[in-house]
Amino acid sequence: MNGDADSKLAGAAADGETSKPRQRFVLEETGFDEVPEKYRKYYRKWKGPSDDLGPNEVLCPVCKVVIRSTRELRPGDRVYCMACFTRFTVTRSELGALEATIEY
Amino acid sequence: MADFLSAYSIQYWLESCPQGYLEDTEYGHAPGETEPALLLDDPQLRQQSIRTTVQLVVGERCALAASSGLINAAPDEASKRYLATQTLDEARHVEIFTQRLYDLGVKKTELEDVLREHANPNLVKFAEVLLEKVDKKDFVAGVVGQNIVLEGMAFTVFEMLHAGVKGVNPKFAHTLSGTIADERRHVGFGENRIGSLIKEHPEKKPEIERMQRDMSYYMLATFADAFRRAPDAAERKRLAQDLGGRPEASWHGVDLATADPKDMEQALADTVLKEFKTRLGRIGIEYQSPVRP
Repeated sequence: MNGDADSKLAGAAADGETSKPRQRFVLEETGFDEVPEKYRKYYRKWKGPSDDLGPNEVLCPVCKVVIRSTRELRPGDRVYCMACFTRFTVTRSELGALEATIEY
Repeated sequence: MADFLSAYSIQYWLESCPQGYLEDTEYGHAPGETEPALLLDDPQLRQQSIRTTVQLVVGERCALAASSGLINAAPDEASKRYLATQTLDEARHVEIFTQRLYDLGVKKTELEDVLREHANPNLVKFAEVLLEKVDKKDFVAGVVGQNIVLEGMAFTVFEMLHAGVKGVNPKFAHTLSGTIADERRHVGFGENRIGSLIKEHPEKKPEIERMQRDMSYYMLATFADAFRRAPDAAERKRLAQDLGGRPEASWHGVDLATADPKDMEQALADTVLKEFKTRLGRIGIEYQSPVRP
């Protein structure tokens, strides 16, 4: 199973939001241990509504885990939550935040 | 087909669960961790902990019966294999919460009597509504009842309990955090499997909506009973201080150490029902409001 959010990213140029190169991020272990070891850095626990998500992070609406990428996420990107097996497309809310829309 | 499970395997479950967050644990907590002495010494507090834990055992026994019963009703091989791992998760939950009853001083020979004495009748009815669907091998209704309604409720109840005890009872908090991790897979299976299956069986919606309404009624009645018996805010704050923990325990904007039991019940019910509405709405089922008990 490949839960690496990066591998699920759609092309940056295709999202139409911006042509700027995506920011890169170095992911550190956060202690999340609910998926096999090699994928753990791609997830972290959500700290509740006051938790500020980075431009490389999106909240899984099914199991409330934060999914992280080494690259900035943009609308149209596809991500997968290994903690609950859910596939999403990244969208942008009216307030400008990144959200996940589930694909059944 | 359960495409979302195409890469799920027993190997994945092993690496995530027994070799992941459960590694080096003993009945779900670190070896050597014990219940706080005050909780064991104070008869009222001990009795209250036993009563709470009995509800967890009753709920998990229902989940064990449902997940194991659904294996043979599942229409595809991937769902059967997934449910086999969920069955083991639920059996573990029954075991760890039963062990907590023993740790609280319940004798093995008295276990069933203690469960009968303290099991909330509304929680028993909640379980009966679900198990009736499972007994009829109704996979769609069974998975909605088990993995969306029951697991959705458990997910929120465990998170609230965890927020309330993490500062004062690390042993129980660790036990709960492992079950919360398991629940993520369970709610994920429910939404993803039913999200696609309900499109194939739209005729099932009215029956499922009735089941959800009935289960929600009994769930709210269980919460009402539980919080009616809860110590008041001043008593809880004193107990938290006696236990040497920090009195603040915030959950969804409610300070569990100082809130009135009525406000805690309201916060829990509102959070669970909001989650139900959102989860059911995503899979195309209209949430039905139960009569407030």
